[in-house]
Amino acid sequence: MTTAPSVKRKMSPRVRRQALIGAGYIAPSFILMMIFNVTPIFLSAYFSFTKYNMASPPVWIGLENYAKLFNNRVLTEALSNTVRYVLITVPAQTVFSLLIAVFIAEHMKNRYGSFLRSVIFIPVIVSLIASATVWNIMYQPKGGIINQFLNFLGFDSVNFLGKKAYALPSVAAVAIWKGTGYYMVIYYAGVMNVPTDVQEAAIVDGARPIQRFWYITLPILKPITYMIITLGIIGSFQVFDLVYKMTGGGPGRSTYTVAYVIYTFAFQDKNYGYASAVAMCLLIVILLIHLLQSLFFKEKD
Amino acid sequence: MKKKTFSPWVIAGAVLVTLFAVLCLLPLIYMVAVSFTDSETLYIKLKDLRPSLYNYWYAIVKRDFGTALKNSIITVVGSCLLVDAASAMAAYGFEKKPVPGKEALFQGYLATMMIPGQVVLIPMFVMINRVGLTNTYAALILPMVGAFGIFLMRQFMVAVPNELLEAAEIDGCGELRRFVTIVLPLVQPALITLTIFTFNAAWNNFLWPLIINTRSEMRVLPVTMSTLASNSTTNYGMVMAGATLTFLFPFILYIFLQKQFVEGIALGGVKG
Repeated sequence: MTTAPSVKRKMSPRVRRQALIGAGYIAPSFILMMIFNVTPIFLSAYFSFTKYNMASPPVWIGLENYAKLFNNRVLTEALSNTVRYVLITVPAQTVFSLLIAVFIAEHMKNRYGSFLRSVIFIPVIVSLIASATVWNIMYQPKGGIINQFLNFLGFDSVNFLGKKAYALPSVAAVAIWKGTGYYMVIYYAGVMNVPTDVQEAAIVDGARPIQRFWYITLPILKPITYMIITLGIIGSFQVFDLVYKMTGGGPGRSTYTVAYVIYTFAFQDKNYGYASAVAMCLLIVILLIHLLQSLFFKEKD
Repeated sequence: MKKKTFSPWVIAGAVLVTLFAVLCLLPLIYMVAVSFTDSETLYIKLKDLRPSLYNYWYAIVKRDFGTALKNSIITVVGSCLLVDAASAMAAYGFEKKPVPGKEALFQGYLATMMIPGQVVLIPMFVMINRVGLTNTYAALILPMVGAFGIFLMRQFMVAVPNELLEAAEIDGCGELRRFVTIVLPLVQPALITLTIFTFNAAWNNFLWPLIINTRSEMRVLPVTMSTLASNSTTNYGMVMAGATLTFLFPFILYIFLQKQFVEGIALGGVKG
């Protein structure tokens, strides 16, 4: 966009020298990007059509891996678990982060409000594995702090991670604990960009706080909400660390997720071809979500 | 209109937000508290709490946390240096040099940001195995370079005035010197943001180090952490000391560089 059309035809020696120098600046990251970001996509697509265990070279088997995807119970269960996980985490973290960001922006624009924002962001910086470890101990049926609290209130202990019905929501709770602060920061930046004169006019007109939230703040934040939901879905769809550390997919297969299944197919069963086929499906799903989001954005702006 | 009126609703809301903030902190307070007990049961009484660093000593010396800490620090420092250097250079090349086809390449880079990690994992594993780079720092550091850093740096590179670069050139300031003494100081805020983003990504990276560096002396903190069982026979104090150590470094950075920290992490997820 900066080079004039006439330059393109025949580069002057000076421009050619600059182009070469520029290529030199771009080269180191270009080489690394090609090796670690670009080549693997094509290799992954190739592996997905092969039988491959790394001990012997890949054997081309056409669409066999893909044909075996749909009647694989492990995979269909993982997919339904993942969708359930998304349906728990995304609404919760979106609503919590929205309400907190809007409330702090409108009623607590003081040092206490900014202190609360800093505190709510802290779980974001804890690594997933450390979070999982701490929550595992908190969830302990015997003596975990949550069960101690339940006992104190007069309830029986709950085996949060050991019962099929509770395991997935218990993992999701950690994700919500860790994710809300992150989305709150994004929402807060968005709320601060809302022009104050609209709000003030609404106050003069006698609009109540809930009306203002519903009819002014929420519509203005719509693009951010779309973005946050997209980010949330994509992030939750790839949940791995929490499942690996907290439940190992169990009890039974009740917390198997798509990313966890790819890991077990590849690095436990050494079935790299089949795992690649699952990974390619994950890629297609993620790309579809991106596509849907950009369509929504086009419509709005 | 400026007059503050504290309606009951506002007070209720403030209490709820405060409660949420407390819930955010409680697990971490619990983590630190347990790390200072020498009890192996979770029924902590106040008398068990004593400011002893025994659990930390045990985790670091007896349970490989010392090695993991060293590996994590080397990986993080190496990643930050490499990502900063490679991204700043690339951004400068993209923004200030007439490289043919650069815009198409840049769009291609942006597209790679949509690719989920699991898709590139298996081929990367195969390639690193083939060239014999498993159980090395290079295996952890080299893949950290990505499109986000280049994208972020380019945003800031736009603001570097061309006139300044031209004037320096006329004054006989060489190509590399212009980049180091004029360009880099001008994009310093972006470099700090990118450093924190990279620090966070490298420090918390789990799946890739788990599969590629399997020898115990090459494990990083999250991987060592994951090998500790957390069932009823566990030495909880030691496990929590390990978790606290893992948390401590980002937390100290967060306290001192809060604005950049939030920016680095938020931008990294949003990716433009």
